[in-house]
Amino acid sequence: MATDTPLRDLSGGKRAHRGDRVFNRTITGAAFTSLVVLAGITIFLGAQTIPVLQDQGLSFLTTTVWDTTGVPPEYGIAGMLYGSLLLAVIALVIAVPVSLFLAVFMVFLAPAKLSKILTNLIDLMAAIPSVIIGLWAFYVLVPPAEEWQQLLNQYLGWIPLFANDSGNFSGTPFMAGLVLAIMMIPIVTSITAEVLKRTPPELINAAESLGCSMWTMLRYVALPFGRGGIVGGIMLGLGRALGETIAVFFVLKIVFDINFFNILESGGGSVATLIVSKFGETNGEFEVQVLLAAGFFLFLGTLLVNALANLIVRRTERLRS
Amino acid sequence: MTTVMERPDSLNGPAIEQMPRRPWSKRPAKFWLATAIAVVVPIAVVGLIYSADVIPPAILLTVIYFPLQLVAAGLAALATKGKHGILDSCIIVLAIGATALSAIVLGSMLFTIIARGIEAFRPSFIFQNSVYISPSTPLDYGGIGHAIIGTFLIVGIAVIISVPLGIATAVYVTEVRGKAVPYVRFFVQAMSGVPSVVAGLFVLTVFILTGVLRQSALAGAIAYAILMLPTVARTAEEVLRLVPEELRTGALALGSTRARVVSKVVIPAAKTGIITAILLGVARVVGETAPLLLTALKNDQTVVNPISDPISALPTYIFDNVAQPYPDAVTRAWGAALALMILVAILFTVTRYLGGRKRSA
Repeated sequence: MATDTPLRDLSGGKRAHRGDRVFNRTITGAAFTSLVVLAGITIFLGAQTIPVLQDQGLSFLTTTVWDTTGVPPEYGIAGMLYGSLLLAVIALVIAVPVSLFLAVFMVFLAPAKLSKILTNLIDLMAAIPSVIIGLWAFYVLVPPAEEWQQLLNQYLGWIPLFANDSGNFSGTPFMAGLVLAIMMIPIVTSITAEVLKRTPPELINAAESLGCSMWTMLRYVALPFGRGGIVGGIMLGLGRALGETIAVFFVLKIVFDINFFNILESGGGSVATLIVSKFGETNGEFEVQVLLAAGFFLFLGTLLVNALANLIVRRTERLRS
Repeated sequence: MTTVMERPDSLNGPAIEQMPRRPWSKRPAKFWLATAIAVVVPIAVVGLIYSADVIPPAILLTVIYFPLQLVAAGLAALATKGKHGILDSCIIVLAIGATALSAIVLGSMLFTIIARGIEAFRPSFIFQNSVYISPSTPLDYGGIGHAIIGTFLIVGIAVIISVPLGIATAVYVTEVRGKAVPYVRFFVQAMSGVPSVVAGLFVLTVFILTGVLRQSALAGAIAYAILMLPTVARTAEEVLRLVPEELRTGALALGSTRARVVSKVVIPAAKTGIITAILLGVARVVGETAPLLLTALKNDQTVVNPISDPISALPTYIFDNVAQPYPDAVTRAWGAALALMILVAILFTVTRYLGGRKRSA
C-alpha cells in the first residue's frame, strides 16, 4: 500500500492556478479544525479553571471536601481524580488478560471462519453505546456481581483490598471497574488481534517447525513482535476508561472521600461521572465553573494518556521498519 | 452442462490432495482421546458437585472447575506431548475461557436488549411522543417518537457540520499534501481521544454560557460533530489513499485544475469509502449521552426547530428512564435501547457490507 511512501507535493506551490490557490487555502484552513477545537477546549475550559483555582487554591486538587452551602463554599476533587485512576486500574487488571487470551484464540487457535465471526462480534460489542451497557449492567450484571463481591469478601476479606465493614456491596469501585473492563475488552482485543495477525507467517512456521511449543512461539515470536501495538491498544482502552461517564454513573456511588483501596466498599470517585451527576443540581455560575475546571483536568489527563499511547505505537513501528 | 472436466490421474492422487501443509500440526488418535477425557471429566465432576448443591455456583466455577480444567488439560498434554505441552494446554484453556466469557457477556447484552425491548415495542411506542406521560403511565400511551426525531435531527446537523470538515482534512493530507501534514494528523489523532463529556463541556462554555445558543439540537449537534470529526477524517484519509496515483496525474496531464481533480476524479473514485467514513462517524456518536445531557437537556414534546428548545434523543431518553422506580418506565428504557441498538446494527451492517465490497473489488 502507498501509505508509507512519502507523497509528492501536488499543490503546485506558487505557480498554481488562481482557483487552485483558493482551493488550497480553503482546504488548508479546514484541515486545521482539529487544532482549533483542541486549542479552543484548552483556552475556554482553562479560562474557566483560573477563577476556580484562584478561589479554592491548590486545595481544589488536593482535598476531598465538597461543601456547596458552606461560607465560603469549598470544593475538592482529589477523591474523583484518584477514583478515576483506581477504576481504570481495576478495569485494566480485569480486561487485559481476557483481551490478550481472546486475541490469541482468535488469531492462533480458532478456525478461519470462527475467527472472522468473532472479529465481527467484537466490533459489534465495541459499537454498543455506553448508555445501553449502563442499562444492562444496572439490571443484569449488578445483582449477581453483588453476590460475587460478597463471596470474595467472605473468603478473601482478610486481604485489605477485599475488606468490607459495612456489608453494603452496591456502587463499589470493583463493580464500576468491572463495567469499564467490559467496555475495554473489545477495544484492546481488536487492536491486539490486528497486531498479532501481522506477525510474519514465516516466523511462526519456522518456530513451529523447529519444534517450539505454542507458548514458546507466543513468548519469543508473536508477543515481542506486537508489543508496541498491544501496549498502545491498552493505553487507548485506558483513555476510554478514564473518560467514560454514563456506564459508570449507573453502577458507582459517587463519594468525595478518597476510597484508597477498599474496592469492595460502597462508594468511589470518577471525574467524568461527577460532572454529569452534579450538573443538574448546580446552583449559580461558580458551581458550573467548578465542574468545567474538573472537566479541564480530565481533558489534560486523557490527552496525556493518548499522546503516550501514540508515541509508544509510533516508536515501535519505527524500530520495526 | 453435465460434462465434468476430468483431471489427469497423476494430479488426483493422494500425494498432492492430502499433503498436509504443516506436517507438524497433524494430531494422532491418542491426542484426541486425551483431549476428550480432559474436557469431559472436569465437567462431569463439577456437574456432580453442582447437583449436590453444596457450593455456590460462582465459587464452584472459579475455585473448582477452573483449576480442575487447567490440571486436566495439563495432564492430557503431559500424556500426549510431554512436559513442553503443559503450558500450551493452559494457554488453550485460558483462551477458550476468555472467549466463552466475552461471548456470554455479549450474548447476555443482546438477549436482554431484544427480550426486554420487545415488551415495549408497539406502534404507539414508536410514533408517539411523551407529552403528559409520567413514569407510571401504562405502556400503551406515549413513546419515543420525539426521541427518534431528536436523534435524527441532532445526528443530521452533526453530519452537515463535520463531514465537509472531515473530508477537507483528509483531502489536505492526501491531495494538497502541504507541509503541515504530520501536524494535522497528530491533532486529528489527539482529538479522537477527547472524552465525550469534555466535548459537551466545551460547547457549554463556548456557546451556551455565553448566550450564543440555547440548550438545543444545534448545541448537541456541535458536540456530536466534535466527536465525529476525527473518525470521518481518519477513515476518509484511508480511502482517499487507495485512489490510484495514476488517476490524479492523468487528470492533471489532461489540464484539469487541482480543485477539479479532487472534486471530479478523486472523491467520486472513493465514493463508497467516503460513505463508509460518514456512517462510521455516525455510529461513533449515535449513542453518546453525556454531551447531550449538558447541551440538549431533555424535552417530552416533539421538537423540530434546532435552535428554539431543549430536545430529547434516544440516549438521553434511555438515561432518564433507567433508574425509575416504575417497571413500565424501565421497560420504556429497554424499548428505546432496542430502537437505538437497531440503528447501531443497521449502521454496522451497512459499513461492513460497503467495506467488504471495497476490499474484494
